[in-house]
Amino acid sequence: MSSTEAIVLAKTPRSRRRHPVAVWVSIALLGLVTFLAIFGNLIAPDATAQSILDSLLPPGSPGHLLGTDELGRDVLALTIAGASSALVGPVCVALGSMLLGILLGTVSGYLRGPIDFIIGRWTDLLFSLPLLLAAIVVAGVFGAGYWMTVLLLILLFSPSDIRIVRAGVMEQAARPFVEAAQMLSLSKTRIMFTQVLPNVSSLIITNSMLNVAFALVAFSSLSFLGVGVAPGTADWGRQLTDGRAIMIDNPAAVLIPALLIIGVASAANLVGDWLGQILTRTGRS
Amino acid sequence: MTQLNAANTPAAGAHPDTPAAAQVTVTGLTVDGPAGVVVKPFDFSIAPGETLALIGESGSGKTLSAKAIAGLLPAGFTARGTIELASATIELPATDAVWRATRGRRISLLLQDPFTSLSPVHRCGTQIAMTIQAASATRLSKAECTELVTQRLAEVNLPAEVARAYPHELSGGMRQRVAIAAALATDPELLIADEPTTALDASNQGEILDLLRGLQEKRGMAALLISHDLGMVRGRAEHVLVMRHGEIVERGVTSSVLNAPSHPYTRALIEADPSLTDRSAGVVRAASGAGAGGDAATGVGDLVVATDVTKSFGDKTVLHGVSVTVGRGETVGIVGESGSGKTTIARCIAGLEHESSGVIAFHGVALAPGRASRTPKQMQIVFQDPYSSLNPMISVGRSLKLALRVAGRPASDLNGLLQLVELPLEFARKRPAELSGGQRQRVAIARALAVQPELLICDESVSALDVSVQKQILDLLAKLRVELGLSILFISHDLAVVRQLADRVYVLRHGDVVESGLCHDVLTAPTHPYTQALVAASIHEAPTH
Repeated sequence: MSSTEAIVLAKTPRSRRRHPVAVWVSIALLGLVTFLAIFGNLIAPDATAQSILDSLLPPGSPGHLLGTDELGRDVLALTIAGASSALVGPVCVALGSMLLGILLGTVSGYLRGPIDFIIGRWTDLLFSLPLLLAAIVVAGVFGAGYWMTVLLLILLFSPSDIRIVRAGVMEQAARPFVEAAQMLSLSKTRIMFTQVLPNVSSLIITNSMLNVAFALVAFSSLSFLGVGVAPGTADWGRQLTDGRAIMIDNPAAVLIPALLIIGVASAANLVGDWLGQILTRTGRS
Repeated sequence: MTQLNAANTPAAGAHPDTPAAAQVTVTGLTVDGPAGVVVKPFDFSIAPGETLALIGESGSGKTLSAKAIAGLLPAGFTARGTIELASATIELPATDAVWRATRGRRISLLLQDPFTSLSPVHRCGTQIAMTIQAASATRLSKAECTELVTQRLAEVNLPAEVARAYPHELSGGMRQRVAIAAALATDPELLIADEPTTALDASNQGEILDLLRGLQEKRGMAALLISHDLGMVRGRAEHVLVMRHGEIVERGVTSSVLNAPSHPYTRALIEADPSLTDRSAGVVRAASGAGAGGDAATGVGDLVVATDVTKSFGDKTVLHGVSVTVGRGETVGIVGESGSGKTTIARCIAGLEHESSGVIAFHGVALAPGRASRTPKQMQIVFQDPYSSLNPMISVGRSLKLALRVAGRPASDLNGLLQLVELPLEFARKRPAELSGGQRQRVAIARALAVQPELLICDESVSALDVSVQKQILDLLAKLRVELGLSILFISHDLAVVRQLADRVYVLRHGDVVESGLCHDVLTAPTHPYTQALVAASIHEAPTH
């Protein structure tokens, strides 16, 4: 019976049909933002240049497609320049917390025992820290800054990564193929990282893409509140704060970065989901 | 189709002993799948009180045929044909309304797995009552319902208390009895039993089938028995259909098909079934040579000696001092039902489980509990489930090369290894998901043999496979044993399989060895009543009494 069902599953093209259009649009958007993050300097060389004469131009003004803000900065140029801070930080946060998650989660889930207990309490502690409060305290003690925020977010994002990897590893560790590896007397480290971890990869990739989305939103919120990047920097969250006051004169100054934050966060979610499905299919038995 | 609302629907519990005297006829049954015809048109009819067996391997289309008749085809599949019952004629494909009036009332389906076919959150009595209530014309009072449930449970030889139990509180055999009671609660004209005993222990299988047979004769109900096991069918079905690749290749009266099969496929199925072929001295055993067994008998060089091994999980003791010896070049079988501790003793020997007390010695040297004291070359395991014992993310070639490297053998030995287990060389590039169950089990055997172990532990290694594949793997093991001089510890619940391969056998029950000795002696003249019951249950054609 089970093999009949397996055939049925294999023949149903459902998994191939699952929102491919949305995925391609998401990949295109992420590609565009990545391109802007890398080459933004060449397209918009002086995004933060101010010109009092040009202040508060509405969208569609000659030479300023999306108009200008209170300080006379071109909104389009500012938005393009903001791509790099919107992407680099979240990606670093996702990678950093993924590394911590892989390391501590695998060790915790495979070895169990006292080390699992210690790592478990450490994640409990981190979980209980409120993001905003921590950010304000860190900014107060060490000074606000982009990279300080990256480090803080890595620390605050890592407990969920650790928990997820730990759960995945615990599930896999009970499988007979792990016992087959034990029968070959492979070292624990080797079994953890070469046998068990590849089977958790879909979980890790999906989760990291979600983290990119969450981190982007977190960065933008912190910038909006003024504890993220320094004033005057090109940053989408910063644009929201600065543009709030001029919403009537130039709505594009707020709407465009806001839409981009939503768009990139959703795109990262969708692509992560899709990558996870592909990886799961590769390893499906 | 329209006469479905005819007043012929028997009220639940009404006169179970007055048979509806008309036969069930199915004509032109065809199943179309997404990629064309899956089951080619075939006809059959079943007289009241008779059983028709539909035999085939997994993937042959037998389950799809059954689901087509019950109106439970998965999405993407459609059925054509006509089902004629005494009370109604159903033209396939039929609407949901027709199926609701038919399924569970005129046609009942008994599923393979009693562990999943019952709802875990409802008491057994409630589940039986639900079917009775659903089929009843009038609303029954609570007392009437309880009364009927008790009656139904008594029919399947279960005490009335079972009504208050949840499925997880019952054993597999009892659960399947509850499922039967629920399936028969509405006096269906046709019962479709889809592999009803595959998930059960040997000793339960015969009982369940005989129970079904008795109930069916009493009620004059027609039954369609779906099975992959020809031996199971002997004496339990009047007629048999053999299906292969969605086509009926042979049909006829059961005894004549079993005794004089005309189609080569049927012949292969019969040969593959250990219970139907010569069971005292299989060809396989003869080939292994008396030499190997003789050595062990004279006590020359015992490879593994486990003495008084006990094992507890929490406050549950699963091994009460088990002693097992495997001689060099000897094949030793450990048989017992699930829960007997047979897998635990194997895992203790392999070091995957830490024994609570007792000594396990290898070549006369006692080993500390756990893997740390053991080397890969001493022993390897082939696990039961080939679907989870290979790492799904790693190709066959990489898995095998890893094992070769552990043994210090060059990676170029890979081809020889694949040849040894009779797999094509291009399989090295495949991932486990691309392989069938039998092919995966060959890879698992190759991985175990890559390190050239002295002892090969087979933990139910063939029980997840189809009979014909089972035979291939058993033949392979027999061949390897002779070629490589392997010692094998063979764990199985299936006496017929152990009989083919083992020189000596231990019978385990509730963590105790109840009988041991030469395989032939123990299995032909068992002395312990438990062994006698096991042996009786494993000979399918003789119903247990």
